[in-house]
Amino acid sequence: MPTELSDPKLQLAFALALGALGAYLLLPKPKSRSVALGTFALVAALAILGIFVTQSFGQPIGELVPDVLFWLFSTGAVGFGALLVTQRNPARGAIAFAFVILSSCGLFLLLAAPFLMAATIIIYAGAIIVTFLFVLMLSNVKGPSNENDRSREPLLGSLAGFAFIGLILFALLQSQPAVASTDESGEAEFALPAPLLTKDDRVALRDVRTDLDAALATDDAKSVGEKAKSAHDKLAETIGGDGVTGRRKTVLERLRPLLGDSKNPSTHDPRLLAFAKQTLQLQRANDDVEVKYLMADAGRADKASLQKLRDEVTVYSGNGQLPARNVGNIGLLLYSEHLLAVEMAGTLLLVATIGAVAIAGRKKGDNS
Amino acid sequence: MISLNHFLAVGAVLFGLGLAGFLTRRNLITLFLCAELMLQGVVLNFLAFGRMHGSLNGQVFGLFIITVAACEAGLGLALFLMLYRRGRSLDSGIWQTLREQGVPAAVDSEALPTVVAEVHPVLTVAGRKPGVGTPAEGASRV
Repeated sequence: MPTELSDPKLQLAFALALGALGAYLLLPKPKSRSVALGTFALVAALAILGIFVTQSFGQPIGELVPDVLFWLFSTGAVGFGALLVTQRNPARGAIAFAFVILSSCGLFLLLAAPFLMAATIIIYAGAIIVTFLFVLMLSNVKGPSNENDRSREPLLGSLAGFAFIGLILFALLQSQPAVASTDESGEAEFALPAPLLTKDDRVALRDVRTDLDAALATDDAKSVGEKAKSAHDKLAETIGGDGVTGRRKTVLERLRPLLGDSKNPSTHDPRLLAFAKQTLQLQRANDDVEVKYLMADAGRADKASLQKLRDEVTVYSGNGQLPARNVGNIGLLLYSEHLLAVEMAGTLLLVATIGAVAIAGRKKGDNS
Repeated sequence: MISLNHFLAVGAVLFGLGLAGFLTRRNLITLFLCAELMLQGVVLNFLAFGRMHGSLNGQVFGLFIITVAACEAGLGLALFLMLYRRGRSLDSGIWQTLREQGVPAAVDSEALPTVVAEVHPVLTVAGRKPGVGTPAEGASRV
């Protein structure tokens, strides 16, 4: 049965039949029209068609989804931003601003910042509601008014704004040749994020994780050691851990001339530093595996350390995809490196609260 | 493939739109929203750079920007409330008396469009006899 279902011709025929049935059921006619059944049939047809396309023509989704989402969210942000700026009615402007926030939160998610996305939505939801309140409370104008229907120097103001945009985009254009160039692994140099692990590397790391899972599943100490050894060999092969062969050598060769020369501007390239840092991380992981493997060989491998290693490899295999443990790591960073800044932000909030109360508070005897 | 420059471009456009709006609009609440629009563009830049470097410092910067935006919102709205109490208007143009000496006053030369009040149709009162024998009224009805 499953082999029949995975036959593309059958899938195609099934999808087309369901689609035709759904369209027939949905088309308006006096008798035998069923919206629910028709919708269900159409959705099912679409799903089967999607399965057919992905199975027969390959998976287009991987590259397509981020692109489509990026264009959707960026168009939304810019379009609603323009609406906010040009809208007469401040209440409609606030709604447009809400959509700008939602769109840019989508962009945040694409930039692997889920915590910031949630925080922005929550905070700005409150901000927009308060803005609405102010519009309702203060803006009681009927008909055209100075504040809504006039602009201060509209021509000069829009020229200034768009000249700024032009300046930035021109500067980006000037740096474009560096972007277009690719390094020897064929990846764009300014790709997001900085490339270290290629796709093959990540696949290999996932294989290592599978091996470690298998090692964890067995009870025999001898076979645990064997499985851990095979995982170690694969990891070493992946990152070129042994001797001067493999990937580590190429990495170090690429880094050494750049890092050694202090006059070279690329010494200060943070991307390069991140590259070196990630290399070091991988080396450390490999050393860890080696230690564990030696321990396992001596029959002293404990499952807890293997489990820890497995988790680490999982994180490394996702390295360059999405920073793992976003919330936890942001918290760690906030309260270790940026503790002073956190305190200052708290003080700023306190001062702003006091200032707002002092400005808006009604004084005694003030009847206005 | 979406690269760093795509996100930077979106951030720049958001900032530029906010800038244009902040310079030209006269409603205080719209001014406030335009300032927030500029901040969104800046946060987008920080996040994109952070993503490129594979570090979380950009996101921490984003959090601080949100904090500053909250302070700005509180102070700004309190200020608007006070200005409204004094001037009974959200128009920033009425405060141009605060300008420096020697700066010419901004004058609104164009008149605002006058909206003609909608004329509602008046229905004849039902249940009354029309006047009999007044030809002038009868003629006007036709």
